[in-house]
Amino acid sequence: MSDLALHIPTDVIDGPTSLAFAAIAVLAVGACVVMARRNLDERLVPLAGLATAFVFAAQMLNFPVAAGVSGHLLGGALAAALLGPWLGALCVTVVIVIQALLFADGAVTALGLNVANMAIIAAFTAYGVLALALKVLPRTRWGLGVAVFAAAIVSVVAASAGFVLQFWLGGEAVGQSFGAMAAAILGTHVLIGIGEAAITAGAVTAVAVARPDLVHALRGAPLAQARARVLKETA
Amino acid sequence: MKTKPFIVAGVVVTLILAGFVSLFASTSPDGLESVLLTGCDTADGEITGGDCVLEAAGEHEIGGVFADYGMSFLDNEILGASLAGILGVLLTLAVATGFFRLLARGKRPEPSGNETA
Repeated sequence: MSDLALHIPTDVIDGPTSLAFAAIAVLAVGACVVMARRNLDERLVPLAGLATAFVFAAQMLNFPVAAGVSGHLLGGALAAALLGPWLGALCVTVVIVIQALLFADGAVTALGLNVANMAIIAAFTAYGVLALALKVLPRTRWGLGVAVFAAAIVSVVAASAGFVLQFWLGGEAVGQSFGAMAAAILGTHVLIGIGEAAITAGAVTAVAVARPDLVHALRGAPLAQARARVLKETA
Repeated sequence: MKTKPFIVAGVVVTLILAGFVSLFASTSPDGLESVLLTGCDTADGEITGGDCVLEAAGEHEIGGVFADYGMSFLDNEILGASLAGILGVLLTLAVATGFFRLLARGKRPEPSGNETA
């Protein structure tokens, strides 16, 4: 191999598993198309386009997480917080497809695997955690920030667990046992998840302050009002 | 902030991230890659010996002139990386906006006061 690739490269997961996940990914993305249409109106299109381009750019920005190891934003939590899980998963899917077809990042045969992990699993776990956390946390800038932070960490670890499952089904452990590999994958992705969480929480709270109506997870309840109410309560 | 300036500002920030900030990104293998490289010796991103999962990884099926976020036809690697990032953002923006516009076709914003806002 000439250069090391990001995402799941060629021939790491066997054909049947890749094919099975391709089928799962096609079904899931199809469901996302149907469901995303329900909340999508023409006003949202530019934001969804921008979020997708931002995820593409952010995936180029590898940050160090340990000696000789880096990580990059997956973006599922960011897209899901801003646009909801259905549309958010579609954003990340568009990014993964462009990366595989044009930038040789992630194998074409691994598209289903990568979409399942980084688009579907990441967006939906992020949104689930976010929705739960927002039920208990105050709807302030900090409450939202903490909720997004938690959602982003969980989403990255869940996406990496998706890979562990795929590898268990269709990979062959070399150089270390499967257990050691699984532990290393999950552990490293906790660190990457912390980076993802910091970036995502910063980005989502920044959007929430400027344009709360563009944060899907807030469901039309602007932060400013929540903050004013909290101030009144504590006064 | 109005929507148009918000989107324009976002696109500018995104272009700067992909075209400039990305040049300073870590070149170390990412979390997935580094674990799949366990057991192998590497130098300059090439496997030089040992046994690991990534040893079995094949070449990318397509490759292409923009492989690994560069422009193989340019002599200047830094310029190539920067332009590849900018191209990627513009292309992603165009594809995503086109795709979502298609999905939203015929759908108007919900009237205000509707609970599905």
